[in-house]
Amino acid sequence: MGKEGIKAMQSADEGKSKNIILDIRGQICPACLMITLRELNSNKERLKNAEVRLVVKTDHRDATRTIPSAAFAMGYSVTVKQMNKYYEITMEYAK
Amino acid sequence: MYRSDFCMAGVFRDAYLFKDYLRLRALFLLVSLLVLFIYLIRHFNLTSAYFPSYFGTPSAADLCGGLIFGIGMVLGGGCLLSTLYKLGAGQTASAITFSGVIIGGFASAALYPMFRSFAASTVLFRNKTALEHIVGSAGAPVLVASLLAALLVARWKKAGKLSQTAYARGYIQLWKASLIMALVIGAVQIFSGRPLAVSMGYAKLSGLLGGMFLPALTGKMAFFHRETPRLLYGRIMDGGAAPVFDSVVLTQLSFMAGVVSGSFISSLRLGEFKIRRLPPKKQAVSAFFGGMFMAAGALMAGGCNLWHLIGGLPVFALQSMVFALGIAGGAFLGSVFIRKAVFR
Repeated sequence: MGKEGIKAMQSADEGKSKNIILDIRGQICPACLMITLRELNSNKERLKNAEVRLVVKTDHRDATRTIPSAAFAMGYSVTVKQMNKYYEITMEYAK
Repeated sequence: MYRSDFCMAGVFRDAYLFKDYLRLRALFLLVSLLVLFIYLIRHFNLTSAYFPSYFGTPSAADLCGGLIFGIGMVLGGGCLLSTLYKLGAGQTASAITFSGVIIGGFASAALYPMFRSFAASTVLFRNKTALEHIVGSAGAPVLVASLLAALLVARWKKAGKLSQTAYARGYIQLWKASLIMALVIGAVQIFSGRPLAVSMGYAKLSGLLGGMFLPALTGKMAFFHRETPRLLYGRIMDGGAAPVFDSVVLTQLSFMAGVVSGSFISSLRLGEFKIRRLPPKKQAVSAFFGGMFMAAGALMAGGCNLWHLIGGLPVFALQSMVFALGIAGGAFLGSVFIRKAVFR
Protein backbone atom coordinates (compact mmCIF):
# COMPACT_ATOMS: atom_id res chain seq x y z
CA MET A 1 0.00 0.00 0.00
CA GLY A 2 2.68 2.47 1.02
CA LYS A 3 4.60 1.39 -2.07
CA GLU A 4 1.91 2.80 -4.32
CA GLY A 5 1.34 5.86 -2.22
CA ILE A 6 -2.13 4.77 -1.23
CA LYS A 7 -3.01 6.46 2.02
CA ALA A 8 -5.61 3.97 3.17
CA MET A 9 -7.14 0.90 1.71
CA GLN A 10 -9.69 -1.16 3.52
CA SER A 11 -12.60 -3.45 2.89
CA ALA A 12 -15.97 -2.97 4.47
CA ASP A 13 -19.22 -4.86 4.08
CA GLU A 14 -21.84 -2.85 2.28
CA GLY A 15 -24.76 -4.87 0.98
CA LYS A 16 -23.64 -7.96 -0.89
CA SER A 17 -20.37 -6.64 -2.28
CA LYS A 18 -17.41 -5.23 -0.39
CA ASN A 19 -15.95 -1.82 -1.06
CA ILE A 20 -12.28 -1.42 -1.85
CA ILE A 21 -11.60 2.08 -0.66
CA LEU A 22 -8.80 3.93 -2.37
CA ASP A 23 -8.03 7.21 -0.62
CA ILE A 24 -5.79 9.25 -2.93
CA ARG A 25 -6.50 12.69 -1.54
CA GLY A 26 -3.53 15.05 -1.43
CA GLN A 27 -1.50 13.19 -4.03
CA ILE A 28 0.11 14.82 -7.06
CA CYS A 29 -1.28 14.46 -10.59
CA PRO A 30 -1.62 11.99 -12.27
CA ALA A 31 -1.89 9.72 -9.21
CA CYS A 32 -5.70 9.53 -9.36
CA LEU A 33 -6.11 7.94 -12.76
CA MET A 34 -2.89 5.95 -12.64
CA ILE A 35 -3.59 4.27 -9.29
CA THR A 36 -7.29 3.78 -10.09
CA LEU A 37 -6.51 2.02 -13.37
CA ARG A 38 -4.03 -0.23 -11.60
CA GLU A 39 -6.61 -1.15 -8.96
CA LEU A 40 -9.29 -1.77 -11.60
CA ASN A 41 -6.93 -4.12 -13.41
CA SER A 42 -5.62 -5.95 -10.35
CA ASN A 43 -9.17 -6.52 -9.03
CA LYS A 44 -10.72 -7.20 -12.44
CA GLU A 45 -12.05 -10.67 -11.64
CA ARG A 46 -13.52 -9.72 -8.27
CA LEU A 47 -15.14 -6.65 -9.80
CA LYS A 48 -16.59 -8.66 -12.71
CA ASN A 49 -18.00 -11.22 -10.27
CA ALA A 50 -19.61 -8.35 -8.34
CA GLU A 51 -17.69 -9.39 -5.22
CA VAL A 52 -16.28 -5.89 -4.78
CA ARG A 53 -16.78 -2.26 -5.79
CA LEU A 54 -13.97 0.25 -6.09
CA VAL A 55 -14.49 3.52 -4.23
CA VAL A 56 -12.00 6.31 -4.94
CA LYS A 57 -11.71 9.37 -2.71
CA THR A 58 -10.06 12.24 -4.56
CA ASP A 59 -9.66 15.99 -4.25
CA HIS A 60 -8.61 16.51 -7.88
CA ARG A 61 -11.44 17.98 -9.93
CA ASP A 62 -10.10 16.56 -13.17
CA ALA A 63 -10.39 13.04 -11.74
CA THR A 64 -14.19 13.41 -11.98
CA ARG A 65 -13.68 13.57 -15.75
CA THR A 66 -10.83 11.16 -16.37
CA ILE A 67 -11.75 8.30 -14.01
CA PRO A 68 -15.44 7.96 -15.06
CA SER A 69 -14.45 8.20 -18.72
CA ALA A 70 -11.80 5.46 -18.42
CA ALA A 71 -14.01 3.23 -16.24
CA PHE A 72 -17.02 3.55 -18.63
CA ALA A 73 -14.73 2.52 -21.49
CA MET A 74 -13.72 -0.58 -19.50
CA GLY A 75 -17.36 -1.57 -18.95
CA TYR A 76 -17.93 -0.29 -15.42
CA SER A 77 -20.81 1.80 -14.19
CA VAL A 78 -19.73 4.87 -12.27
CA THR A 79 -21.31 7.19 -9.73
CA VAL A 80 -19.71 10.41 -8.50
CA LYS A 81 -20.70 12.14 -5.27
CA GLN A 82 -19.41 15.40 -3.81
CA MET A 83 -18.55 14.75 -0.18
CA ASN A 84 -17.12 17.13 2.41
CA LYS A 85 -14.19 18.78 0.50
CA TYR A 86 -13.61 15.83 -1.81
CA TYR A 87 -15.25 13.62 -4.42
CA GLU A 88 -16.13 9.96 -4.08
CA ILE A 89 -16.14 7.94 -7.28
CA THR A 90 -17.68 4.46 -7.09
CA MET A 91 -17.08 1.89 -9.81
CA GLU A 92 -18.77 -1.47 -10.15
CA TYR A 93 -19.14 -3.89 -12.98
CA ALA A 94 -22.13 -2.96 -15.17
CA LYS A 95 -24.30 -6.05 -15.63
CA MET B 1 -8.35 27.68 -14.87
CA TYR B 2 -9.26 26.17 -11.51
CA ARG B 3 -12.78 25.20 -12.56
CA SER B 4 -11.65 23.53 -15.77
CA ASP B 5 -8.32 22.31 -14.30
CA PHE B 6 -6.51 23.77 -17.32
CA CYS B 7 -3.10 22.35 -16.43
CA MET B 8 -0.38 22.55 -19.07
CA ALA B 9 1.61 19.73 -17.47
CA GLY B 10 -1.51 17.61 -18.00
CA VAL B 11 -1.69 18.67 -21.65
CA PHE B 12 1.42 16.68 -22.54
CA ARG B 13 1.54 14.14 -19.72
CA ASP B 14 -2.02 12.85 -20.21
CA ALA B 15 -1.49 12.57 -23.95
CA TYR B 16 1.60 10.40 -23.38
CA LEU B 17 0.38 8.33 -20.44
CA PHE B 18 -3.33 7.89 -21.14
CA LYS B 19 -3.80 8.97 -24.77
CA ASP B 20 -6.11 11.66 -23.36
CA TYR B 21 -5.89 14.54 -25.86
CA LEU B 22 -8.70 16.76 -24.53
CA ARG B 23 -6.37 19.26 -22.83
CA LEU B 24 -4.02 19.24 -25.83
CA ARG B 25 -6.96 20.19 -28.07
CA ALA B 26 -7.93 22.95 -25.60
CA LEU B 27 -4.38 24.35 -25.64
CA PHE B 28 -4.35 24.20 -29.44
CA LEU B 29 -7.65 26.11 -29.50
CA LEU B 30 -6.33 28.71 -27.04
CA VAL B 31 -3.13 29.31 -29.01
CA SER B 32 -5.04 29.43 -32.32
CA LEU B 33 -7.49 32.00 -30.96
CA LEU B 34 -4.60 34.09 -29.65
CA VAL B 35 -2.87 33.92 -33.06
CA LEU B 36 -5.94 35.59 -34.53
CA PHE B 37 -6.63 38.01 -31.64
CA ILE B 38 -3.05 39.28 -31.43
CA TYR B 39 -2.88 39.73 -35.18
CA LEU B 40 -6.11 41.76 -35.05
CA ILE B 41 -4.75 43.79 -32.10
CA ARG B 42 -1.70 44.65 -34.18
CA HIS B 43 -3.69 45.21 -37.39
CA PHE B 44 -6.08 47.67 -35.76
CA ASN B 45 -3.26 49.37 -33.78
CA LEU B 46 -4.92 48.64 -30.44
CA THR B 47 -1.47 48.73 -28.84
CA SER B 48 1.83 50.23 -29.89
CA ALA B 49 3.67 47.14 -28.63
CA TYR B 50 5.38 44.87 -31.11
CA PHE B 51 5.09 41.54 -29.33
CA PRO B 52 7.83 39.60 -31.22
CA SER B 53 10.33 42.12 -29.83
CA TYR B 54 9.93 40.56 -26.40
CA PHE B 55 11.55 37.37 -27.66
CA GLY B 56 15.17 36.72 -28.45
CA THR B 57 16.95 34.84 -31.19
CA PRO B 58 16.39 31.08 -30.76
CA SER B 59 19.21 28.93 -29.46
CA ALA B 60 19.94 25.46 -28.14
CA ALA B 61 19.41 26.93 -24.66
CA ASP B 62 15.69 27.27 -25.48
CA LEU B 63 15.52 23.61 -26.49
CA CYS B 64 17.40 22.43 -23.39
CA GLY B 65 15.47 24.83 -21.16
CA GLY B 66 12.18 23.52 -22.58
CA LEU B 67 13.35 19.95 -22.06
CA ILE B 68 14.29 20.58 -18.41
CA PHE B 69 11.08 22.55 -17.85
CA GLY B 70 8.99 19.74 -19.40
CA ILE B 71 10.54 17.11 -17.14
CA GLY B 72 10.04 19.41 -14.15
CA MET B 73 6.37 20.17 -14.74
CA VAL B 74 5.51 16.47 -14.97
CA LEU B 75 7.53 15.66 -11.82
CA GLY B 76 5.97 18.65 -10.07
CA GLY B 77 2.41 17.65 -10.94
CA GLY B 78 1.75 21.01 -12.60
CA CYS B 79 3.32 23.88 -14.53
CA LEU B 80 4.24 27.24 -12.97
CA LEU B 81 0.68 28.48 -13.47
CA SER B 82 -1.32 25.42 -12.40
CA THR B 83 0.89 25.15 -9.29
CA LEU B 84 -0.53 28.54 -8.31
CA TYR B 85 -4.21 27.71 -8.74
CA LYS B 86 -3.77 24.35 -7.01
CA LEU B 87 -1.95 26.15 -4.19
CA GLY B 88 -4.87 28.56 -3.85
CA ALA B 89 -7.24 25.60 -3.42
CA GLY B 90 -5.14 24.25 -0.54
CA GLN B 91 -3.09 21.54 -2.30
CA THR B 92 -0.09 20.90 -0.05
CA ALA B 93 1.69 19.03 -2.86
CA SER B 94 1.58 22.24 -4.92
CA ALA B 95 3.05 24.17 -1.98
CA ILE B 96 6.00 21.74 -2.11
CA THR B 97 6.35 22.32 -5.89
CA PHE B 98 6.13 26.09 -5.25
CA SER B 99 8.94 25.95 -2.69
CA GLY B 100 11.00 23.86 -5.15
CA VAL B 101 10.59 26.63 -7.75
CA ILE B 102 11.65 29.34 -5.29
CA ILE B 103 14.70 27.44 -3.99
CA GLY B 104 15.52 26.15 -7.49
CA GLY B 105 15.24 29.72 -8.80
CA PHE B 106 17.85 30.86 -6.29
CA ALA B 107 20.17 27.91 -6.98
CA SER B 108 19.95 28.16 -10.77
CA ALA B 109 20.47 31.95 -10.64
CA ALA B 110 24.07 31.09 -9.75
CA LEU B 111 24.31 29.37 -13.16
CA TYR B 112 22.78 32.35 -14.98
CA PRO B 113 26.07 33.60 -16.57
CA MET B 114 26.70 30.06 -17.87
CA PHE B 115 23.17 29.82 -19.32
CA ARG B 116 23.64 33.16 -21.10
CA SER B 117 26.95 32.19 -22.67
CA PHE B 118 25.46 28.82 -23.73
CA ALA B 119 22.55 30.68 -25.41
CA ALA B 120 24.89 33.17 -27.07
CA SER B 121 27.14 30.44 -28.47
CA THR B 122 24.33 28.28 -29.88
CA VAL B 123 22.14 30.82 -31.69
CA LEU B 124 20.16 29.16 -34.48
CA PHE B 125 18.98 32.16 -36.55
CA ARG B 126 20.92 35.39 -36.19
CA ASN B 127 18.84 38.60 -36.08
CA LYS B 128 15.59 36.69 -36.52
CA THR B 129 13.14 36.38 -33.65
CA ALA B 130 9.84 35.48 -35.34
CA LEU B 131 8.59 33.50 -38.33
CA GLU B 132 7.57 36.74 -40.05
CA HIS B 133 11.27 37.71 -40.22
CA ILE B 134 11.94 34.55 -42.23
CA VAL B 135 8.86 34.43 -44.50
CA GLY B 136 8.71 38.22 -44.85
CA SER B 137 5.02 38.53 -43.97
CA ALA B 138 3.15 38.73 -40.67
CA GLY B 139 -0.22 37.90 -42.22
CA ALA B 140 0.64 34.73 -44.15
CA PRO B 141 1.50 32.51 -41.14
CA VAL B 142 -1.63 33.80 -39.36
CA LEU B 143 -3.84 32.99 -42.33
CA VAL B 144 -2.43 29.50 -42.80
CA ALA B 145 -2.53 28.69 -39.06
CA SER B 146 -6.08 30.05 -38.65
CA LEU B 147 -7.44 28.06 -41.61
CA LEU B 148 -5.77 24.89 -40.39
CA ALA B 149 -7.04 25.47 -36.86
CA ALA B 150 -10.59 26.18 -38.06
CA LEU B 151 -10.64 22.91 -40.03
CA LEU B 152 -9.28 20.87 -37.13
CA VAL B 153 -11.55 22.44 -34.51
CA ALA B 154 -14.63 21.95 -36.73
CA ARG B 155 -13.66 18.29 -37.17
CA TRP B 156 -13.16 17.79 -33.42
CA LYS B 157 -16.47 19.55 -32.68
CA LYS B 158 -18.31 17.29 -35.12
CA ALA B 159 -16.70 14.20 -33.58
CA GLY B 160 -17.54 15.39 -30.04
CA LYS B 161 -13.84 15.53 -29.17
CA LEU B 162 -13.85 19.00 -27.65
CA SER B 163 -15.77 18.25 -24.47
CA GLN B 164 -16.23 15.46 -21.99
CA THR B 165 -18.56 15.01 -19.03
CA ALA B 166 -16.99 15.97 -15.71
CA TYR B 167 -18.89 15.62 -12.45
CA ALA B 168 -17.03 18.23 -10.38
CA ARG B 169 -19.27 21.04 -9.20
CA GLY B 170 -19.14 24.15 -11.40
CA TYR B 171 -16.91 22.49 -13.99
CA ILE B 172 -16.18 24.61 -17.06
CA GLN B 173 -15.51 22.67 -20.24
CA LEU B 174 -11.93 23.10 -21.41
CA TRP B 175 -12.91 24.58 -24.79
CA LYS B 176 -14.97 27.24 -23.02
CA ALA B 177 -12.03 27.97 -20.72
CA SER B 178 -9.84 28.38 -23.82
CA LEU B 179 -12.28 30.91 -25.25
CA ILE B 180 -12.52 32.88 -21.98
CA MET B 181 -8.74 32.84 -21.49
CA ALA B 182 -8.08 33.95 -25.06
CA LEU B 183 -10.40 36.96 -24.57
CA VAL B 184 -8.89 37.85 -21.17
CA ILE B 185 -5.27 37.42 -22.33
CA GLY B 186 -5.99 39.43 -25.50
CA ALA B 187 -7.47 42.27 -23.40
CA VAL B 188 -4.53 42.15 -20.94
CA GLN B 189 -2.05 42.40 -23.81
CA ILE B 190 -3.87 45.44 -25.22
CA PHE B 191 -3.61 47.25 -21.88
CA SER B 192 -0.19 46.02 -20.72
CA GLY B 193 1.47 45.86 -24.13
CA ARG B 194 3.38 42.71 -23.16
CA PRO B 195 2.84 38.94 -23.02
CA LEU B 196 1.81 37.37 -19.72
CA ALA B 197 4.48 35.65 -17.66
CA VAL B 198 5.13 34.39 -14.15
CA SER B 199 8.72 33.10 -14.21
CA MET B 200 10.32 36.47 -13.39
CA GLY B 201 7.75 36.84 -10.58
CA TYR B 202 8.93 33.56 -9.09
CA ALA B 203 12.56 34.68 -9.61
CA LYS B 204 11.86 37.92 -7.78
CA LEU B 205 10.47 35.94 -4.85
CA SER B 206 13.71 33.90 -4.89
CA GLY B 207 15.67 37.16 -4.86
CA LEU B 208 13.57 38.65 -2.04
CA LEU B 209 13.98 35.57 0.16
CA GLY B 210 17.67 35.30 -0.78
CA GLY B 211 18.13 38.95 0.16
CA MET B 212 16.51 38.29 3.54
CA PHE B 213 18.33 35.08 4.48
CA LEU B 214 21.56 35.13 2.44
CA PRO B 215 22.15 38.83 1.64
CA ALA B 216 25.91 38.55 0.99
CA LEU B 217 25.52 35.65 -1.44
CA THR B 218 22.49 37.22 -3.16
CA GLY B 219 24.42 40.45 -3.64
CA LYS B 220 27.17 38.58 -5.46
CA MET B 221 24.82 36.85 -7.92
CA ALA B 222 24.61 38.69 -11.25
CA PHE B 223 21.01 37.59 -11.90
CA PHE B 224 19.81 39.49 -8.84
CA HIS B 225 21.58 42.70 -9.85
CA ARG B 226 19.12 45.35 -10.84
CA GLU B 227 20.74 45.96 -14.22
CA THR B 228 21.22 42.36 -15.40
CA PRO B 229 17.67 41.24 -16.36
CA ARG B 230 17.10 44.63 -17.96
CA LEU B 231 19.47 43.57 -20.68
CA LEU B 232 18.20 40.01 -21.22
CA TYR B 233 18.82 39.02 -24.83
CA GLY B 234 19.94 42.54 -25.55
CA ARG B 235 16.51 44.09 -25.23
CA ILE B 236 15.61 46.57 -22.54
CA MET B 237 13.28 45.27 -19.86
CA ASP B 238 11.79 47.50 -17.21
CA GLY B 239 11.98 45.01 -14.37
CA GLY B 240 13.75 41.92 -13.19
CA ALA B 241 14.59 39.54 -10.38
CA ALA B 242 16.36 42.09 -8.19
CA PRO B 243 14.65 42.46 -4.79
CA VAL B 244 13.34 45.93 -5.61
CA PHE B 245 9.93 47.37 -6.47
CA ASP B 246 9.61 47.47 -10.27
CA SER B 247 7.22 46.50 -13.06
CA VAL B 248 7.58 42.77 -12.27
CA VAL B 249 5.87 43.43 -8.94
CA LEU B 250 3.04 45.28 -10.69
CA THR B 251 2.61 42.72 -13.49
CA GLN B 252 3.84 39.19 -12.76
CA LEU B 253 3.64 39.15 -8.97
CA SER B 254 0.19 40.78 -9.02
CA PHE B 255 -0.94 38.25 -11.62
CA MET B 256 0.39 35.39 -9.48
CA ALA B 257 -1.42 36.77 -6.43
CA GLY B 258 -4.57 37.08 -8.56
CA VAL B 259 -4.41 33.43 -9.67
CA VAL B 260 -3.91 32.17 -6.10
CA SER B 261 -6.72 34.38 -4.73
CA GLY B 262 -9.05 33.51 -7.61
CA SER B 263 -8.73 29.78 -7.09
CA PHE B 264 -9.00 30.26 -3.32
CA ILE B 265 -12.32 32.08 -3.75
CA SER B 266 -13.52 29.62 -6.39
CA SER B 267 -12.68 26.54 -4.29
CA LEU B 268 -14.33 28.12 -1.23
CA ARG B 269 -17.52 28.83 -3.21
CA LEU B 270 -17.57 25.29 -4.58
CA GLY B 271 -17.12 23.80 -1.10
CA GLU B 272 -13.76 22.30 -2.03
CA PHE B 273 -11.17 24.43 -0.19
CA LYS B 274 -9.15 22.53 2.36
CA ILE B 275 -5.49 22.45 3.39
CA ARG B 276 -4.73 18.99 2.05
CA ARG B 277 -2.67 16.29 3.66
CA LEU B 278 0.94 15.78 2.62
CA PRO B 279 1.51 13.53 -0.39
CA PRO B 280 3.48 10.28 0.04
CA LYS B 281 7.23 10.82 0.50
CA LYS B 282 8.21 9.76 -3.03
CA GLN B 283 5.68 12.17 -4.56
CA ALA B 284 6.79 14.99 -2.26
CA VAL B 285 10.40 14.54 -3.40
CA SER B 286 9.21 14.42 -7.02
CA ALA B 287 7.18 17.63 -6.53
CA PHE B 288 10.13 19.48 -4.96
CA PHE B 289 12.63 18.49 -7.63
CA GLY B 290 10.01 19.14 -10.31
CA GLY B 291 9.79 22.71 -9.03
CA MET B 292 13.58 23.07 -9.09
CA PHE B 293 13.76 21.74 -12.65
CA MET B 294 11.06 24.17 -13.80
CA ALA B 295 12.96 27.11 -12.30
CA ALA B 296 16.20 26.04 -14.01
CA GLY B 297 14.46 25.37 -17.34
CA ALA B 298 12.67 28.73 -17.33
CA LEU B 299 15.89 30.58 -16.53
CA MET B 300 17.78 28.78 -19.29
CA ALA B 301 15.04 29.39 -21.89
CA GLY B 302 14.33 32.97 -20.81
CA GLY B 303 10.72 32.22 -19.82
CA CYS B 304 8.20 29.65 -18.64
CA ASN B 305 5.40 27.77 -20.41
CA LEU B 306 3.07 30.76 -20.07
CA TRP B 307 5.57 33.16 -21.64
CA HIS B 308 6.48 30.86 -24.53
CA LEU B 309 3.33 28.81 -25.25
CA ILE B 310 0.73 31.53 -24.61
CA GLY B 311 2.85 34.61 -25.30
CA GLY B 312 5.36 33.49 -27.94
CA LEU B 313 3.65 30.81 -30.02
CA PRO B 314 0.73 33.10 -31.03
CA VAL B 315 3.23 35.54 -32.58
CA PHE B 316 5.30 32.67 -34.02
CA ALA B 317 8.33 33.62 -31.92
CA LEU B 318 11.13 31.28 -33.03
CA GLN B 319 12.47 31.02 -29.49
CA SER B 320 9.04 29.81 -28.29
CA MET B 321 8.70 27.31 -31.13
CA VAL B 322 12.04 25.78 -30.12
CA PHE B 323 10.96 25.84 -26.44
CA ALA B 324 7.71 24.05 -27.39
CA LEU B 325 9.69 21.22 -28.98
CA GLY B 326 11.81 20.97 -25.84
CA ILE B 327 8.84 20.99 -23.46
CA ALA B 328 7.09 18.24 -25.47
CA GLY B 329 10.23 16.07 -25.30
CA GLY B 330 10.79 16.84 -21.62
CA ALA B 331 7.20 16.00 -20.71
CA PHE B 332 7.63 12.65 -22.47
CA LEU B 333 10.78 11.88 -20.45
CA GLY B 334 9.06 13.06 -17.26
CA SER B 335 6.05 10.84 -17.97
CA VAL B 336 8.27 7.79 -18.47
CA PHE B 337 10.11 8.61 -15.25
CA ILE B 338 7.04 9.05 -13.04
CA ARG B 339 5.46 5.87 -14.40
CA LYS B 340 8.60 3.86 -13.70
CA ALA B 341 9.88 5.53 -10.53
CA VAL B 342 7.23 7.60 -8.74
CA PHE B 343 4.04 5.56 -9.19
CA ARG B 344 5.66 2.15 -9.57
